[in-house]
Amino acid sequence: MGSGDPFGMPVSHSLASGMGGIRTAGDLVARMQLHRKMRLPEAKAFVAAKLGLSPVELSDEVVMRELREELDIGVITSVPGASKALAAKARIGRLLDLKINSVEILKEKMK
Amino acid sequence: MTQQELFDAAKAAVVAADEDQAVAVAQEAVAMGLDPVRVIAEGFTPGMREVGDLFERGTMFLPEVIIASEAMVAAVAVLEAHLPADKKEKKAGVVVIGTIEGDVHDIGKGIVATLMRVYGFEVHDLGRDVPLVSYVQKAREVDATIIGSSALMTTTMMGQKTLEKLLKEADIRDRVRTMVGGAVVTQYWADKIGADAYAENAQEAVQKALELVAG
Amino acid sequence: MTTIRTRMGDGHAVEMTADEIRSDVVAGTEDAADRGRIPALTEQECDWLVELFCRSDRVVGVDQGHEVVLTDDGSVNALYGAQSSSGVGVPVSREMGIRVYERAFCMDSMEVGHPDYSFKPVRPIVALEQQAMESTLLSTIVPMYYGAMPNLALYARPDGPFPNPADLLPMGKIDEARAAQEEAGEYCFRDMVYVAKKMWEVGADGINFDTTASAGDVEFLATLRAVEQVAGSTGLTIEVGMAAEFVLGMHGKVAYQGTRLAGLYPHEQVKLVEAAGAHVFGPVVNTNTRRSTAWNVSRAATFVKACSEAATIPVHANVGIGVGGVPMCETPPVSMVTRAGVAMVEIGKADGL
Repeated sequence: MGSGDPFGMPVSHSLASGMGGIRTAGDLVARMQLHRKMRLPEAKAFVAAKLGLSPVELSDEVVMRELREELDIGVITSVPGASKALAAKARIGRLLDLKINSVEILKEKMK
Repeated sequence: MTQQELFDAAKAAVVAADEDQAVAVAQEAVAMGLDPVRVIAEGFTPGMREVGDLFERGTMFLPEVIIASEAMVAAVAVLEAHLPADKKEKKAGVVVIGTIEGDVHDIGKGIVATLMRVYGFEVHDLGRDVPLVSYVQKAREVDATIIGSSALMTTTMMGQKTLEKLLKEADIRDRVRTMVGGAVVTQYWADKIGADAYAENAQEAVQKALELVAG
Repeated sequence: MTTIRTRMGDGHAVEMTADEIRSDVVAGTEDAADRGRIPALTEQECDWLVELFCRSDRVVGVDQGHEVVLTDDGSVNALYGAQSSSGVGVPVSREMGIRVYERAFCMDSMEVGHPDYSFKPVRPIVALEQQAMESTLLSTIVPMYYGAMPNLALYARPDGPFPNPADLLPMGKIDEARAAQEEAGEYCFRDMVYVAKKMWEVGADGINFDTTASAGDVEFLATLRAVEQVAGSTGLTIEVGMAAEFVLGMHGKVAYQGTRLAGLYPHEQVKLVEAAGAHVFGPVVNTNTRRSTAWNVSRAATFVKACSEAATIPVHANVGIGVGGVPMCETPPVSMVTRAGVAMVEIGKADGL
């Protein structure tokens, strides 16, 4: 994104242009770009299909807040008992058919 | 070859960074009996100006700029041998340059120093992380006409303001012109601290320096 | 005549008429087209930018459905760091900072990075950095990079063992300067590969080669070689972010896969980054502080659009202070930051920021 003070840079871009991270489906779309080199429309279409949503709903806070809790893939608010961190990533990997490095290392250690 | 064709050939030789060709053009100019001052001013100098523009646009690179400047120096040496003593090329000015104390970013400053040498300035590059007092001492020692300081961080740019104060305290501020640059520095900052010039890039820095020494 | 309050490239306010804004938008795109030898923006795109800059809204946003992925580089220096990194000095750890960025600022991906933020100083403390990565991975959900700068300048005297080209070139020692850079580039390459592999071992999702080519073409070559090596030996996602809009020719002759690196602009850089095996490219377009933000954003959008069209991998445009049309000032006005970001998405067709 680039350097700058937190209000001037990440907060401003987040409000104006960002997908919303774990508040919506931003991290999931990011994973498809990062793992599979997918351009944005392709990454959004892939995730939307996996979630049974339209691409525009991927940035819908209300839809995604509920769906993330249902899928138990980590939610933005602090919900006791909801999957956190590695557990959430393990479930995201399964949802998107991705091997997530930190999850794979944990699996290896559990063998 | 007409006079204009020779000027064009001089310019082309510098842009091509071709020392042999530049020297050959200079020798041809002497053989044709042309005014060496005009050959430098209307042939070789425009060539060097174009080299600076090409560098600023990313189509010519620093080693080529150096080679081009060497071509120009060699050609000017040929022409100078035929100049009366009072018309011999004088240095453009004496520059003391460095990156402000606490700042280790010196690539941009180094390019500015290099281009200034190319344009005939005597440059004393103090390097990076330069204590402010060193600018003052060196300026006194070499009787500088310009002091240039670079800052890449908002913390170190404050040193440029302090330097203005130190030069006044040392009673030499009115004898030198100050230039500021670096990624975080702007014209507004230069105006605010009372520096004489600000440049956006290396080529502009040279033009500003030439304007400053021209008064 | 009615004027609009907008900003110069140094962040200061300026009143401009709509005609002046249009004139700057056209001049900005034409400058990019001329320098990059790329198409200028269409009349329709220029109209769109003029409207963007004539709007009185303080904050603007992309159309719903056009949101893009945000990758935060520079670690979270800005949160716990001091003035030199635009930091606001909040006394939190790196891990706490990353969690704030993930859960409060809603970043789509994040990175762990050392305050020194260069590969050379990280190498001797890589075990500490691996633990910082491991710990962060145990508490976060978003994809996690490790980020640092190749920073070739650190390998030259007085910071490193090799002669400094900034000293050699003015003396006309061109061959020596080139040789010193090539040797330094080899060590830079090794450090990048070493740190990347160490991060892969502890579970990182990606490696971010940030501010690449800051010391010129040899640094870009070292990075491309590192990308190739890391792509071939790990499963890391690799992001390459640039330092400036064109590759500075400090050497002038080095090439990658037959293409000379000096002087390449973003649409040309991305093809080599792709060929090396990277997953994400971060183009940079420098802000001119003397021109209006309208001029700068139009110019940056033109470069980013050409880059996005040339790319097959995701393009995450840099829109930090002093790049991507964002004014060069410590507290960039949100009116201009949001306009720059939106233009990179809607006109530049960036896949992320």
